[in-house]
Amino acid sequence: MIKFSNVSLIYPNSTTTVLENLNLTIAEGEMVLVIGPTGSGKSSLLRLINGLVPHHTGGILAGDVSVNGISTQMTKPGGMAHVIGIVGQNPANGFVTDTVEEELAFGMEVLNLPNDVMRKRVEEILDLLSLAALRNRSIASLSGGEQQRVAIGAALVTHPRVLVLDEPTSALDPIAAEEVLSILHRLVHDLGLTVVIAEHKLERVIQFADRIVYINGDGAAKVGTPEEILMQSPIAPPIVHLARALGLTEIGTTVREMRRMTADIREMKSSTVLEPIAKRTESVITFEKLTVSYDNKTALNSISSTIFAGEIVAVMGRNGAGKSSLLKAIAGVNRPHAGKVSLLGNDPFELHGKKRRERIGFIPQEPSDLLYGQSVSIECEQADRDNELAAGTTHKVLQQLVPGISASTHPRDLSEGQRLGLALSVVLSSNPSVLILDEPTRGLDYEAKNQLTRMLISFASTFGEAVLLATHDVELVAELANRVIFIADGDIVADGTTLDVLLSSPAFAPQVAKVMSPQPWLSVKDVVAAIEGMQ
Amino acid sequence: MTKPSLHPFTWWLWAIGLAVAIVRFDSTWFTLSCLGVVMVVVYGLREDAPWAMSFDWTLKIAAWILAVRTFVGIAIGVPIPGTELFRLPIVPLPSWMPGIRIGGTVTWERLSSSLVEGLIICSIIVIFGAAASLTSPHRLLRVLPVYIYEFAVAVVIAASVLPQLVGSVKRIRMAQRLRGQNTRGFTSWKRVAITLLEESLARSLDLAAAMDSRGYGFSKKRSRYRPISWRLKDSLIVISAIGLVVIS
Repeated sequence: MIKFSNVSLIYPNSTTTVLENLNLTIAEGEMVLVIGPTGSGKSSLLRLINGLVPHHTGGILAGDVSVNGISTQMTKPGGMAHVIGIVGQNPANGFVTDTVEEELAFGMEVLNLPNDVMRKRVEEILDLLSLAALRNRSIASLSGGEQQRVAIGAALVTHPRVLVLDEPTSALDPIAAEEVLSILHRLVHDLGLTVVIAEHKLERVIQFADRIVYINGDGAAKVGTPEEILMQSPIAPPIVHLARALGLTEIGTTVREMRRMTADIREMKSSTVLEPIAKRTESVITFEKLTVSYDNKTALNSISSTIFAGEIVAVMGRNGAGKSSLLKAIAGVNRPHAGKVSLLGNDPFELHGKKRRERIGFIPQEPSDLLYGQSVSIECEQADRDNELAAGTTHKVLQQLVPGISASTHPRDLSEGQRLGLALSVVLSSNPSVLILDEPTRGLDYEAKNQLTRMLISFASTFGEAVLLATHDVELVAELANRVIFIADGDIVADGTTLDVLLSSPAFAPQVAKVMSPQPWLSVKDVVAAIEGMQ
Repeated sequence: MTKPSLHPFTWWLWAIGLAVAIVRFDSTWFTLSCLGVVMVVVYGLREDAPWAMSFDWTLKIAAWILAVRTFVGIAIGVPIPGTELFRLPIVPLPSWMPGIRIGGTVTWERLSSSLVEGLIICSIIVIFGAAASLTSPHRLLRVLPVYIYEFAVAVVIAASVLPQLVGSVKRIRMAQRLRGQNTRGFTSWKRVAITLLEESLARSLDLAAAMDSRGYGFSKKRSRYRPISWRLKDSLIVISAIGLVVIS
């Protein structure tokens, strides 16, 4: 179906090749997963398939990419629209119309399909992706998961033979992600659709993939079955790390396989002593009867809790449950409609300038919002000046967090993880008492996530400060947080230690916990520690 | 959401008509009353959509232009005799620039003529800003003929990305306030502008790529899923504007 023959790709003003001599044939009805570190060229590979690279981006392409016998050298992306449906990294940026129904029809209108065909297909897609209830809604009012489904529907409606998706679940909560992926799985099996997908969160997709393309970033690419690739790849989901840590000869890619392989370990007598709840030291953040609403919609419904020094608290919940609203109320972005927030005795809404910097460090969903310097060094110097620090202090922090960033790089040219590191070091340079992060792991690969975990743990333990983060990433929470607040529809439904909250709901349980259930182990680290304890 | 019932061209045609009428009438009272009508229409009819929120910014920009235009009008140029209001110090200019004067006596006549001229420019900006905030750029794209493909893509990207910028401005200023930065004054805007420019460029490229890969402009013919029809209401609105042009 898709054929890459001797494909090499290099972008102008770049010294490294993205792909070098790649040969790959993807058969009809195959689901292929593209993995690799951030910035390694996964998106480029996906966009080569319909010719957006190089027709839209520039760059030199050697070799030939053909889909269903049509070569992208001869045909522009528009000419491939009836064969390929493509869903970009951020679907919200790609919507061309206002309402769900119009968006679904758009692709067919431009292909000049007759009206009766369009009517039938729109209904078909509305049912297939369970969008019927949303058909007249404006796209801007939909949640992230719903928007993702609309984007997939809009790509499918022209009956393409190939569907290409770039990180389709990165902004979704675990349940919405599951939903989207199982729809794709069904399409592959029912309609013989060929799917090519790039994703960082391997634990979500690995079980559906037939083959993996591993891109290294230096032009090299490896193609193989998930087992072959994951055996040695540094990028691997937690269950593969578990298999490695346990010294298993084979690796399983699904929870089911891994449970079969590890039955004996689970049945060992557990000597894991459940950690007592961390000592409640002084309280840092208190909110009482906090209510936030937008227009007529209540985002937070009179909730109260206290966060103590040294805690790393994860705020979890569905898309649109009120996580960001809580974080914003605590950071003092919006004044709550009722209730009180107190941060070290201050009202966070009243904090300004230096006082604010010393108390709250806030990393928004787009870390680049905080950055405006023309280079990394200008950004660091600005932070030094703001906080009256000796020149070079911030840059030193950055070097510790993410080593090897050239000081003259423009922040925009950094990878997602490096940019987060820069924003974090700028914020940390003022030594805030509380660090608040909104969805810090979007677009981060495993390596960057490990860095982030190390940084935050050392921040919380060495300074005894509180960290509060909103995230969908269950695996990150398992590694990092010691307390979880679970929000649904503006109410706190669970508030307790990470172990208690994550184990109580199968949808939010991390992979290792699913494999090791009923043992109370959340991460590879826990399992290894428990086994060592037994010996 | 209520279904938008007007044709996307309606408000644009109305705006063109109004703008022509204002220029031809050249009367302060007519211009002011047009502005009043436009504001009533926008605040009464606009939907809760990102592009609708751009109107407030249009007003701010228009007010800024009026202020600058008026200042330049009274400070530089040919003096008009009349009732003296106050005097500005005269800046000496070299002899090879005769007839031009900076500063000097400011008369009521001079002030009012500058204001009136500025007002007409502003009203035209406001009227087109109103059309942009009343019309969904996406619906506009659907009715533009495919023959002007490149032009249409540019128009739609400009019309859909610019209003989204208003939302981005708020988000970025909030983030920078949280970094403890001063959000007043010129430098703070410079910081916002850089971030904003990058973001809007990325957005535009995304949208163009998405339109391209869905086959927009590839086929010269295009079918209609739910045709947008021209109704009596549309005709009445446009006729009202044409009527003003004819009277003027």
